[in-house]
Order: sequence, then structure tokens, then C-alpha cells
Amino acid sequence: MMSDRVAGLMGQLIAVAIALAIGAVIILAVNESPLRVLVTLIDGAFGNPERIAGTLLQMTPILICGIAACISLRGGLFNIGIEGQLFIGGFAATWVGFSFALPPLVHVLFGLAFAALAGMLWIAVPAFFRARFNTNEVVSTILANYVAILLTSYLTINVFKRPGGQPDTPAILESAYLPQIFSFSRLNWGLFIGVALAIGAYLFFTRTARGYAVTEMGANPKFAEYGGIDIKRQTFVLLLVSGAVGGLAGGIESLGVHHRFMEGFAPGFGFDGVIAALLANGSPIGTIVTALFFGALRNGSLLLEVDTTASREIITVIQALIILAVSAQILVRRRASDSTAGERRWKF
Amino acid sequence: MSSWSRRLIALAGASALALAANAASAKEVSIAAISGYFAQGFGVSIVDGLKKAEKDFGIKLKLVDTGNRALDYEEQFNNIAKDGSYDLVFVMGWELVDALQKTAAAYPNTHFVFIDGVLDSKNIIYANFAQNQGSFLAGALAASMAEKGSAIAGLGDGKAIGFVGGRDIPVIRDFLGGYEAGAKAAAPDVRLDAVFAGTFDDPAKGSELTMALYGQGSDIVYNVAGPTGEGVLQASAAADKYSIGVDIDQCGVAPGHVMASMLKKADVAVYSLVKDVVDGKPPEPGSIHTYDLKSGGVELLLCPQVVDKIPAEVKAKVEALKADVVSGKITVPTVK
Repeated sequence: MMSDRVAGLMGQLIAVAIALAIGAVIILAVNESPLRVLVTLIDGAFGNPERIAGTLLQMTPILICGIAACISLRGGLFNIGIEGQLFIGGFAATWVGFSFALPPLVHVLFGLAFAALAGMLWIAVPAFFRARFNTNEVVSTILANYVAILLTSYLTINVFKRPGGQPDTPAILESAYLPQIFSFSRLNWGLFIGVALAIGAYLFFTRTARGYAVTEMGANPKFAEYGGIDIKRQTFVLLLVSGAVGGLAGGIESLGVHHRFMEGFAPGFGFDGVIAALLANGSPIGTIVTALFFGALRNGSLLLEVDTTASREIITVIQALIILAVSAQILVRRRASDSTAGERRWKF
Repeated sequence: MSSWSRRLIALAGASALALAANAASAKEVSIAAISGYFAQGFGVSIVDGLKKAEKDFGIKLKLVDTGNRALDYEEQFNNIAKDGSYDLVFVMGWELVDALQKTAAAYPNTHFVFIDGVLDSKNIIYANFAQNQGSFLAGALAASMAEKGSAIAGLGDGKAIGFVGGRDIPVIRDFLGGYEAGAKAAAPDVRLDAVFAGTFDDPAKGSELTMALYGQGSDIVYNVAGPTGEGVLQASAAADKYSIGVDIDQCGVAPGHVMASMLKKADVAVYSLVKDVVDGKPPEPGSIHTYDLKSGGVELLLCPQVVDKIPAEVKAKVEALKADVVSGKITVPTVK
């Protein structure tokens, strides 16, 4: 008999395969060869050191947002406001970056800490209402996204705009730069932070009592409460941590890549992260793999649009198909195995 | 003549033409363009010019849409420049400037053309539009009409004209400066009320601001605000007043209410630059190509639905001012 884990992995692989197959049909429909598209995608993602670095660069925000999603999913919660936390965190880190003169390492750490704090504050209200009144966090966090994006845009254009035509803030000081790994790419230490977070989250959930309590709450909140876990407090704290990681993702983008905040800072990475986490079944280590997969798709698609007649948007289509296939199989699995589906919304 | 021999002659003619075309362009000219605005007014005009060049010269054309992720821009530029396979790469959009300058420095043999602005990089080619001159005529027209007041249907005696800008940035100030100078030159007594929406993406706000300007006595409002400006044009129809379009022919957005459109003919600019390459005279790196009233790169188009309502004397005044700008007798102020 297959173990649950193997069954889960098989399910995800089948979901991806179905999505890619439908993608191939769409590529055929626009008169391009799916094989050529695939070869170009791989070449664009891994063809030379610059492109590999580019893939890892795209992967970094997806990974960190994915970890933020994993953290909430483990506890049976769904923080879909990572996008907003990323924007707020990115803005907060940039503000620290250009407002203060601090020694190099201190400046970076202070900026990242501030980004995490900002992300945490951004989820605090939805988290409080979820913990205290059982308000659906999916709705409240997604609404907070719009506020975050518009607020940062307002602050950028009306309060902190640098002189000239651009809707940008001033650049951060060099002391706040998150160091690059290679001279030829904007890839930076954010990748290591992301991988460390993934390993940390994995160890926390599998090796600590507190992590076990969270997983227990995710599996069956009633049972966890019966077992003596303070569900309200744990829900609140878990969402705060998830929000902090989301904010950190933004801080890493601004201190590591853009060195400033601009309108349309890093759109969509929060949602990509949620997809990566869902595809990884909420496993932090698995999210490293899925984030790499999405990063490679994204970076490969940038070559795709130049070297073939296929549009880059084909990648968005494939991603959407993956979401459909994954959510379909989650539903099927839940219906097949779960008699207490009414009690919880997300099972991992 | 039998239909066969006719066909044969046609065939021979066609192959001769094809041969001639082949000889003329021994090396196929490849052109790329990268922007996030190919679906919007000014960008559409660029695409039109490139498609025309594709049809006329048989060039190879690649359009790359940047999308909205700043993270992608650099890789997109690198992917275009990597093989040096494009003779010219057109770039439009200020958010691309950092990536453009970085790539242009890394690939000195790839010739980038920055459309609608001038930067300090010496190895980029610039296609610049004298929007101040076109706006000068728009201001002259609007002020002359406002001066006539209620003598013209749909106008009041507020003796004022309006301006709705997108964001308060230098390029929009360049439009405004020209508009103001044109209004002063044509009718010094007419007041100018200028407002900025603060955004290029909010038609509702454009509409609201325009209604406010109408309330303050302006009856003609010039929009320089991208999609926000659509709201300006629509407000002119809703309020039964007038507006002026920008960048492309916007007369059809609110027919009968858009009085004129100030055209920045990006299609003409890109077409002529591509033609230069096809003719073997590619533009020099660092050269600035200015498209102004004189070269026909900017122009004030009087909307056909409204043109009969504009008195001959106003038309003559605008024409005279245009002649003065073209001859250099009037220098229109510019904002950089």
C-alpha cells in the first residue's frame, strides 16, 4: 500500500503533467512547436551561468512567500495576503534603507527586521479577528492586499518620490544593500535566507513540540484543543509569523534587487508563493523544489518570448492550469478520505 | 491575350520584383521593440509604424511586452541584445530606463532607440517629440475659442481653459508649458486652470477633475493623462462641453466633443528610423532625432466632427502661430 506521502507526491506530479499537456495543446493551437518551446524554456532557465542565476533570482521571492504560505497552511490557516505583506515589507525596508545612515551589516539587518515587523503588523488585524472571532482570514487578508498596494503606491508617489519623472522612491544607501552572490547577476543573499527559512520551518514542524502542536491544529483543531492547545493564541501567533515572513520577502527584494521601491514593486510574487506552497503540499522543503520550478518557468519564459513566436503568457496559463489540477485533486482526496471535512478547510 | 500568357507575364513581373527586393536587402533587417504599452495609445502608434515598415520593407519584427514585473526587465533586455541580431531595438517607457542603460553599456553593438525622451547615455539613439510645440497650438486653439465665449455653441463666458495632467512630472510639465504659452500668445486674457490627477490609470478621477474645471468656468479641457484622460474626454460628452485629445487621434472617443487631438506621431518616427536602416544609413549612437511641427512629427488635428464650429478666424490664427513656430519666429518654452 502506498504511503500517504507517496500518494500525495504522485498526485502533484500528475497535476503538473496534466497542466503541461494542456499547455502543449495550447502551444500547438498558436502554431508553435511544443518541443521547441520546451527546449527554449530549459535553455532560458538553465542555459548558462547568467540564466541559472536569473532563475534563482526569480525563485527567491517565490520561495520566501511560499514559506510564509506553508507556515499558515500547516496550522490549517490560509494567509493569502502575502502579496500585501510583501509590498509593505518592501516599502518598510526601503524606507530604512534611505532614511538612516548605519554601518553596513547593521543596516541590512535593521532593514530586514523592519520589513518583517511591517509584514507582521499588516496581518495583525486579520490575525486578531481570526483568532478572537473566527473571522475568515482568506477574505480579510486578501482585502488587506489592496490596501497595501495602494498605500505603498500613495507613499511612493506623494510622499517619498525622488525628483524626476519616475514613480520611485530615492535609492537606498549602499550600506543597506543585501550582498550579491555573483558579480554578473542581481542574485543575492536572499536566496540563502530563503533556503535557511525553509529548513528552519521544516525542523520546527517536524522536530519541536510547538511545531507538532501547530500541525495538530491543522489536522484537527477540535482534537488539538481537547489536547490542551490554546488554539486562539496559536492561531494569532502563527498568522503573525506568516505575515512577518511575507514582509521579509519584500525586504529582500528591495534591499537585494531593486535598491528602491517603485510603483508595481513585485506584483504577483505573493500569489506565486501560495501556489508553490500548495503544489508542495504545504511542505517547506518541497516548496524549495516548487519555487525553483516556478522560477525556472518564469525566467525561461523571458527567453521564450524573444526566441519563439509563443507569448510569455503561456507560462501564466500553465500556472493557472496547475492550480486547477492541484485544487481538483485536493478536493477529490478530501472527499475520499475525510469524514470530518466540515470541521476544517485545509488539510495537509 | 490568353489568360495563360497574362498569368505568365504577371509571374515574370512578380519574380523580377522579388529579385529586386532581394538584391536591395541582401541582409535581412531585424527590428525589435520592447515596452509595456503596446496596447495603449502612444504604444499602438509605435506598433502601427513598425507593422507598416514590416509590410513595406519586409523586415523581421519582434515585439516584446515587458509586463509589469520590474524584476524581469534586465533579463528581457539581455535576451534581446545577446546575439546582436537586431539592427535597432526600440524602447518605450521610463520604468525601463535603468535596465536600458545597463544593457546598452554591456552591449555597445546593439543600437537602442529610446522613444519619447533623452537620457545621458551616449550609445543610445533618441527619438524625441516636441510636445511643447504641439501643445502650444492646442493652447492657442482652446484660448481663441474660449475668448469667443458664448458666441459658439456649447461654450460659456468663463473665459478660461483647463488642463488635466497625469502625474506632475517633467514631461507633462512640458505639455503644460507649451499649452500655456500658446494660450497667452493667442488670447492673453483667457485664464488657465491646470490640475494633476496624480495617476495615469484612473479615468473616474479624470472625469471628476474635468467636471470641477467645467464648474469653474473652463469649457475646453486638454488631457495629458493616458487612461486617466479617457475620463476627461468622456466628461466632455457628459457635460456637453469640449476637450482636447493627446498623443493619438482621440476624436472618436467622444465625437463632437473632442475639439482637436495633439498628435505625437510615433508611427512616423519609428517608420523613418527603420527606413534609414533599410537604406543603409542607420542612425548614429547618441543622436537625437526630434520630431516637431516642422518635420510633421507633432501636429494639431482638428476633429472633423467639430471643425465646422471653429470660426475661420480662429483657424487662421492657429495656422499663423504654427507658421511662426515652424519658421523659428516663436520659440516655445520647454521643460526637461
